Amino acid sequence: MEEKVLNRGQQKVRSNVLDAGLCTGCGACINLCPYYQSYRGKTAVLFPCTIDEGRCFAYCPKIEVDLEELSQRLFGKPYDGSPLGSCQSVLMSKATDIIKGSKPQAGGTVSALMYYALKKGFIDGAVLMDRQGLLPVPHFVGDANDVLACSQSKYTAAPALAEVNQAVKDGYKNIGMVGTPCQVLSAAKMRMNPLMKEDFIDPFGLIIGLFCTWAIDYRLFEPFVIKKIDIDQIEKIDIPPPPAEILQIFGKNGEKLEIPLSEIRELVPKGCSYCVDMTSEFSDLSVGVMEGRPDMNTLIIRTDRARRLVYGAQEEGYLQVSEMPEENLEHLMWAAGNKKRKGLIKACDEGLINATEETNSYLKIRQDILNKLIA
Amino acid sequence: MSHLTDTKKDASYLVMGNEAIVRGAIEAGVNVASGYPGTPSSEIIESLSRVASERNLYVEWSVNEKVALEVAAAASFAQLRSLCAMKQNGVNVASDFLLHLVGSGTRGGFVLVTCDDPGALSSVNEGESRYFSRLMEIPLLEPGNFQEAKDMTKWAFELSEELKQIVVVRSVTRMSHASGNIRYGELPDIERKAEFKYSGFIFDPEEGVVISAPVDWKHQQQQAKVKRAMEIFENCPFNTYEGPDKPELLLITSSACYLYSKEAVNVLGIEDRVGILKLGTTWPLPPKLLAKNLSRTQKIMIVEEVLPFLEENVKILAAEMAAEIGVKTFYGKKDGTIPMTNELNPDLVISGLSKILGMEYVPVSAEYDQLAKLSAFVGAPARDQVFCPGCPHRASFLSIHNALELDGRKGFVCGDIGCYSMAVRPTGFETLKTLHSMGSGMGVASGFGKLGQFGMDQPILAVCGDSTFYHAVIPALVNAVHNKANITLVVLDNSGTAMTGFQPHPGLDYNVMGDEVPCIDVAKICSAIGARVEITDPFDLKGTREMLNNLIEDSNGVKVLIMRKACALSPQRKNKKDFEMRVDETICLGEECGCNRFCTRIFRCPGLVWNEKKKKAEIDQVICAGCGVCADICPQHAIVKEEVA
Ligand SMILES: Cc1cc2nc3c(=O)[nH]c(=O)nc-3n(C[C@H](O)[C@H](O)[C@H](O)COP(=O)(O)OP(=O)(O)OC[C@H]3O[C@@H](n4cnc5c(N)ncnc54)[C@H](O)[C@@H]3O)c2cc1C
Ligand code: SF4
Ligand code: SF4
Ligand code: SF4
Repeated sequence: MEEKVLNRGQQKVRSNVLDAGLCTGCGACINLCPYYQSYRGKTAVLFPCTIDEGRCFAYCPKIEVDLEELSQRLFGKPYDGSPLGSCQSVLMSKATDIIKGSKPQAGGTVSALMYYALKKGFIDGAVLMDRQGLLPVPHFVGDANDVLACSQSKYTAAPALAEVNQAVKDGYKNIGMVGTPCQVLSAAKMRMNPLMKEDFIDPFGLIIGLFCTWAIDYRLFEPFVIKKIDIDQIEKIDIPPPPAEILQIFGKNGEKLEIPLSEIRELVPKGCSYCVDMTSEFSDLSVGVMEGRPDMNTLIIRTDRARRLVYGAQEEGYLQVSEMPEENLEHLMWAAGNKKRKGLIKACDEGLINATEETNSYLKIRQDILNKLIA
Repeated sequence: MSHLTDTKKDASYLVMGNEAIVRGAIEAGVNVASGYPGTPSSEIIESLSRVASERNLYVEWSVNEKVALEVAAAASFAQLRSLCAMKQNGVNVASDFLLHLVGSGTRGGFVLVTCDDPGALSSVNEGESRYFSRLMEIPLLEPGNFQEAKDMTKWAFELSEELKQIVVVRSVTRMSHASGNIRYGELPDIERKAEFKYSGFIFDPEEGVVISAPVDWKHQQQQAKVKRAMEIFENCPFNTYEGPDKPELLLITSSACYLYSKEAVNVLGIEDRVGILKLGTTWPLPPKLLAKNLSRTQKIMIVEEVLPFLEENVKILAAEMAAEIGVKTFYGKKDGTIPMTNELNPDLVISGLSKILGMEYVPVSAEYDQLAKLSAFVGAPARDQVFCPGCPHRASFLSIHNALELDGRKGFVCGDIGCYSMAVRPTGFETLKTLHSMGSGMGVASGFGKLGQFGMDQPILAVCGDSTFYHAVIPALVNAVHNKANITLVVLDNSGTAMTGFQPHPGLDYNVMGDEVPCIDVAKICSAIGARVEITDPFDLKGTREMLNNLIEDSNGVKVLIMRKACALSPQRKNKKDFEMRVDETICLGEECGCNRFCTRIFRCPGLVWNEKKKKAEIDQVICAGCGVCADICPQHAIVKEEVA
């Protein structure tokens, strides 16, 4: 009998991710070919592709994510399911005022580090997130001075990796990016040379991950916000750390709207509920908002190159770094572990973990670790 | 000078059926001709327009068939001879006026030429115009060969004048578009003067008002005309019988089927067993002529295309005359001897005849037949209809398709009639989801646009061509705007009635006779009606797609996007390459991830070909129209365009 070729291309991405509602619009499948495009926060397939083994499948963070392999290859150790992933150190940080005119989301750590990395030539360019109205628009920045224009969190899911793919196409080989955990996960898949190309080079020089509990569906968020405020008048949107339980919208003329998070959770895409990563575990370093100190960041250093960058920035006066108080760390671990557990249980219940070759899993994870995590 | 106006008596020419009709009209001294383009009828108005100045005719392409019939009717009311031409479904459009016209009656000879399309060779229906003659109670003539096409048309004018009623001459694709030798008659030189007389007594058909009321009286007049026509038809030379006096089987037929029937009888060599009654006057049927012929035998076979029009009418007469002619056995559509859909051909008549006469006849080798059936079933190499190279519709539908996919709310497009109807097929990325008659895309969309109340949240689009826009879309547009339907209309403006051969329409500044005329601007009409109007060039793929999404998201009533680009075959673009195209083989990705033959697998312009050996795309320089649009769809920029100086 003829051997059946298992599809590891668009066909599977379509059935297992897009049609199944797992897509978070990360953009990893976009700008690779003419078949995918992102529009207003949603990833669309324009035409069917018949290729059996393709990059869309290889990069998508919602199909065949082998956590063990990622951990081994990126950090040289097994995936143990610890809430924050592989860490060298967990710190608190804040940008100094050496960067003028900065209006960051929290402590400005991300912007300061990207500014510094570009200025010092750690990377050739960076993929950051700009916005048009409420719509997040990924933007490739080649000049450190353009970093600040992209600061602040855009709480809607966004196709950051589409811009990375474009930069790779344009020949960049040392790219920096900032991303949410799903975006960082697709970047990590890309770094593994998933299609085993001989001429492969890892295009990333620096990956900064953001903490993320969930993102909001742009197509639901926009009409929701329009009813409350003129979008052009929005200065900043913030979700202050717990126990605030609100989303705040700051207007340019000083007004402030507060919306209970219970209303916002209704607008979260289904894909986020399968996510098992709160702290962008496969980044070089990850940044979140410090609980109780909204002007400060939590900073997790995961790799050597991240450590060198952070210490360089500190030494040259771009960043203030200090130790993380024990009780903050505990609560962070609890929150991250809780998200991981919920995501794993949901995926497990739906048979999306360690499935067969033919049906393709969302996640692959060592069975003993899985049992421990969902116990 | 056109051969159509050759004054040499008895000159003989090889002409198309439609030209034979035209020559007949010229011999009858036609003054005014109008129509709406539609295959297979279009050459009639076109040929007449070419001799317009020489023969002092007024010829126009009207905005639609109803208006065409009205325009021609006016000439008849003013005592001129006039002709109106259209395809089968055009009669449906004209029928409301026709119903009232037959009540009022006509003055100058008035002939309606309808060209039907059995088998829908260039239609999306195989509608029957013959039934209109019965429904409207007017005479119907059907030529059975090319000479008759001319002679009958000429005679139809005389008949019309005698009856004071419009007369229908019906042709079919195989008659209109095939050619045969005919002998010309004389050309008249009487000059008619137009005058509309209306001050006579109300009942005076020559000088009173022209109206269909009082209905009862007028209707009686009309039916008297049918009776008179019947009498005339009893001795009409266009009804002929050939064959033995007492045949085994009488075959009754008309139109192109006469040719198939003759051939069938000839192939089977049964001239001595079968008689053929060929009818040129198929409504009303002359009863005495029928009685005489039906009396010849017991078995009657009726050969006609599509619906059993002739069959039913013959059967009714036979029932009425049963006492006189005896009970007959009929073969035709009702008993399945002849199929009720599609065109006929000699083979189908042969198999019908051999069944009735108990003859062994294998039309094609059984083996071949088996093979043909099989390959049709499993899908013979699909020779799909495609848009021409350089056609703007391919680009337009790519943008519409992409806009709808990006939007992601299961939006759809209501289609309309034109080349772009092909967008139900892969060549238009299967974008059209409904397709009916001229203008109905917008009408149906207008209805869909009001279903929000019942939970419909799919974006709704309609498309139409520029010619279709004037023909029947305007009322639907008015309806949609007035009723606040939330829809987007795309007008594919390719500057002409492309499908039927570039007949001018109201959007152009010249008419069929070459005169300068005012053009009616689609954009201005739409904004005047109250729609939001935008214009893009469909070859600007990005701009067009973005504009479409913008319009689809605008939930404020009716939006119109005019995609303006001349047809690749239009006089201004034909044989003119804007760009020299080539594929850079060194960067073409071909089947690899990153492309997977987007140009030859999805976009599929016939100018792009896949070189299976090299695994690279290529440009077929002979077919490529040099429009340059594929350079913008290639993800690798491997398709290179260079401007032609
Ligand atoms: C969707 C989302 C959810 C988040 N949820 C949490 C949470 O639950 N807990 C927590 O502690 N922190 C969360 N954060 C992170 C937090 O909001 C800050 O972004 C982070 O602490 C960095 O702060 P900063 O002051 O260094 O930011 P800045 O210096 O202002 O820099 C922010 C950087 O993030 C990038 N960015 C913004 N939005 C996006 C996006 N949608 N996709 C990719 N990149 C983006 C910008 O380009 C910029 O470079 C979330 C962020 C996002 C975008
Ligand atoms: S397999 Fe490659 S070409 Fe096909 S859809 Fe996926 S990324 Fe595009
Ligand atoms: S999760 Fe990302 S890679 Fe996967 S389908 Fe969605 S946008 Fe594409
Ligand atoms: S679209 Fe471009 S890359 Fe793809 S096959 Fe055609 S020419 Fe080659």
